[in-house]
Amino acid sequence: MSHHYISFENLSFSYPKGPEVLHDINLRITHGERVALLGLNGSGKSTLLLQTNGLLFPSSGRVVVGDVPVTRKTAPEVRRRVGMVFQNPDDMLFMPTVADDVAFGPRNMKLPEQEVTRRVNNALEAVGIPSLASSPSFMLSGGQRRAAAIATVLSMEPDILVLDEPSANLDMRACKALVKTLSEFNHTILLATHDLELARNLTPRAILLHEGRILADTSLDEAIGILSQLADSH
Amino acid sequence: MAKLEKALLALNEFGRSRKSDISPVAAVIVTLFYIVIVLTVPVSDPQRLVWMAVYPVMMAEYCGAGFVRIFIKSLWVLPFVILIGIFNPIFDHNPGIKIAEVSVSAGWISFVSIILRGLLSMQSLIILGYMAGFLDICSSLRRIHIPRILVTQLLLSYRYLSVLIEEALSMRRARQARGFGSDKLSLSLWAALVGQLLVRSADRASSIHRAMLARGFDGVLPLVDRGQSPDKNSILFAITVCVAVALLRWLPFDSWFGFLNF
Ligand SMILES: Nc1ncnc2c1ncn2[C@@H]1O[C@H](COP(=O)(O)OP(=O)(O)OP(=O)(O)O)[C@@H](O)[C@H]1O
Ligand SMILES: [Mg+2]
Repeated sequence: MSHHYISFENLSFSYPKGPEVLHDINLRITHGERVALLGLNGSGKSTLLLQTNGLLFPSSGRVVVGDVPVTRKTAPEVRRRVGMVFQNPDDMLFMPTVADDVAFGPRNMKLPEQEVTRRVNNALEAVGIPSLASSPSFMLSGGQRRAAAIATVLSMEPDILVLDEPSANLDMRACKALVKTLSEFNHTILLATHDLELARNLTPRAILLHEGRILADTSLDEAIGILSQLADSH
Repeated sequence: MAKLEKALLALNEFGRSRKSDISPVAAVIVTLFYIVIVLTVPVSDPQRLVWMAVYPVMMAEYCGAGFVRIFIKSLWVLPFVILIGIFNPIFDHNPGIKIAEVSVSAGWISFVSIILRGLLSMQSLIILGYMAGFLDICSSLRRIHIPRILVTQLLLSYRYLSVLIEEALSMRRARQARGFGSDKLSLSLWAALVGQLLVRSADRASSIHRAMLARGFDGVLPLVDRGQSPDKNSILFAITVCVAVALLRWLPFDSWFGFLNF
């Protein structure tokens, strides 16, 4: 296993026909590390996260996961290692029942059905909604949807968990449950969030993104300080 | 409950597994067999198609849905089959049969046949929906070696329907919240809303697709093959029904019940 588990090397990115939104990003995250990605709205957090999973590809530079450079060809392999929880949980829930959604990833991995069932149960247990297994997802509350979305990724047992705003819509109890779930995940976590409380509980290291550049890569407290100055100056 | 919520629930219910004695594979095979046999009935022979209606009537009662309900549900294919069949009476004026001195052209006869075929096929499909959930039907199709890509297409269309309804729901909420109770829409507003709905649902569909890719989707939806081969009962059921359908198709009822002939 490579020492640098995820690295972004001179990465720049622009959306098709759009201006450049990420500029020359260099970043290394080692295995087992927990890192928060902070930044104001539109600073490029979600865009950066999508590069870790081969859903967007850099315009220049590259992303390496483990020792695999992320390319169109390696994307399927990378996606087994990197579990991605999207900003909008509804994007991840589309099967008739929650259990089917949670089983979607493992089934794509062609695991035997017995193993799929085991993982589905574990994942639902981990996010605290085992009783909702057979509910249709559109009948869930916002927080329950969020939990279900996280379960759909946990069931794939990824090496690295990438989360975009996982605590949006969660009440205080659900937030605590989320912290607990994520603390129990003993691999790498990369977390984009505006929820500083969540970051305080989980991630000692923070990366501050501003207008598509890394402004600081430092301790969480320091990053929060800079962030609040930024917020005041705008 | 409003119509849209109901539709969403019904759609969801349609996807679920049924607790039926008959395995989904048996139900699928029987249904496909029936449809193929219905299509072999020549359009010049609508009476035979009337005999074929014994199947939906019996099966509807068997699966507890009731034929009247199935019949009413099947009516929505009418516009489509009428569209397909309407040219026959217009272009085909060859003499067909005589009913009480009025001669009916072959065109009208084939028109009636086409409508009957459409209704019967639709009814058998609806009955299939009662016997097995949509996902089980799809995994059965895979078991009888229908190509993956077709089955995935079916599944995704089914999913897209619920995305469409969900978007419509949230748009309606947004409108109601600002509409001060008036539910009337002008035609131009309607058109704008429909356009908006298509754009939004396409957008949602592409986000969903992205999230599917992130979880290893490779163009083929994973289906649970619940692993069970059809049990003895189901096999017996399938054979019996198929034989019965074949009898309905080929037994010479006309010569037995000659007095029924016009
Ligand atoms: N699909 C897209 N096409 C074109 N431009 C986009 C697209 N998605 C995002 N952008 C632009 O890229 C920039 C970064 O957006 P991104 O969503 O990564 O920000 P973010 O940091 O995640 O913001 P937030 O905190 O609001 O989630 C923004 O200026 C945005 O307008
Ligand atoms: Mg974002």
